[in-house]
Amino acid sequence: MADDPYAALGVSKTATDAEIKKAYRKIAKRDHPDLTDDPAAHERFKAASVAYDLLKDPEQRARFDRGEIDAQGQERPQRRYYRDFSEAPDNPYRGQADYGDFSDVFADLFGERGFRQSGFGGGARSFDMRGQDHRYTLEVDFMTAARGGTTRITLPDGNVLDVNIPAGTRDGQTIRLRGKGAAGMGDGPPGDALLAITVREDPDWRRDGDDVSTVLPISLDEAVLGAKVQAQTIDGPVMLTVPRGASSGQKLRLRGRGLTGAGGKRGDQHVELRIVMPPQIDDDLARFIETWRKDHAYNPRAAGGRGR
Amino acid sequence: MIRQFKTRDEILSMIPELSPEALAALTEAGIIQPLLAEGEPRFREIDAARLQLAVELEEMFRLDPEALALVLSLIDQLNGIRGEMRAVLGALAEEPPETRARLRRVIHEIRILRVQRD
Repeated sequence: MADDPYAALGVSKTATDAEIKKAYRKIAKRDHPDLTDDPAAHERFKAASVAYDLLKDPEQRARFDRGEIDAQGQERPQRRYYRDFSEAPDNPYRGQADYGDFSDVFADLFGERGFRQSGFGGGARSFDMRGQDHRYTLEVDFMTAARGGTTRITLPDGNVLDVNIPAGTRDGQTIRLRGKGAAGMGDGPPGDALLAITVREDPDWRRDGDDVSTVLPISLDEAVLGAKVQAQTIDGPVMLTVPRGASSGQKLRLRGRGLTGAGGKRGDQHVELRIVMPPQIDDDLARFIETWRKDHAYNPRAAGGRGR
Repeated sequence: MIRQFKTRDEILSMIPELSPEALAALTEAGIIQPLLAEGEPRFREIDAARLQLAVELEEMFRLDPEALALVLSLIDQLNGIRGEMRAVLGALAEEPPETRARLRRVIHEIRILRVQRD
């Protein structure tokens, strides 16, 4: 315990009564054991209380100053703080706890609380508490996630919602619908609905970060001579120039046609060309190629089989 | 368990800072709800501790009865939850590490993961 009550309050020996009171109040506000968890604060508060009890009484203070009594003699019987009682399960002043969706779990673990007195003037029940968040999983197709769009969902409570899927939504992202969770208590706002998004795979589209890739089939003549052909992008069809002499596996890049990234910048689309032979190799084609081969034979595997 | 009840006079001498008028006002406002026996209030230990705190809060923060009721109600809620939390943590401490690891993952998912897009 503090031997020097002035030190415990952080005041000088010549402090006025008002200064002593002010110092005590300052410590009490900060360190009161019912208002803070900090054990060091509890000690400071205890020391300050003892010191204040002694110094607030002018007669006691004068006797202490003259050395007639010491600080110890003043200690009050061990005080029990309110937290000792209010943490107990049978605190009659506490309103019914409400754990929302988990009320059953709570009752299962803790039991229904036995005797219950209503709080003061219904005060405890008039509290405003935000409602619980509800979590759902929502599957969207690749295009809706990429382009953005609206999906209609029916929540378990029967509410039908049109959910706005932002362009560039990724698998595993969460969409928060404000106020669509459980109702709040009192005037508390409702909770949110949290939709965990699963993006369904699409055989025609592959994703790599912000970039997407597709395969574009081209005919033999388009590969040989070059052509302008139509290709699908997230934003719809575009005309794409296939260079003369294109090979299968060659990739063309469409800048800014990928997914919308975190910063709002879009990735690219990679279009892989794939030469598709005509359904039948007719005599004309076979004869032409035979003739052509005589003078123009080439070995595409000479470069190590990379096929380019 | 033997409960010790205190009379009005005993309470007043226990808490020197509490005036008879203040005790009457706090009771009137419902902030303190002593039991009644033969028309006389009987104060439990919890009432005494609550009165002591109420007097200190009034003095420290100059609260009016409504604000005092609010603060005490918040303390009741918080401490009640603290007591329940302690009970849950005590029960979890007895569980094998695998159970705790499983719960940790679930808690992490619920409390830690941040929503990436609003």
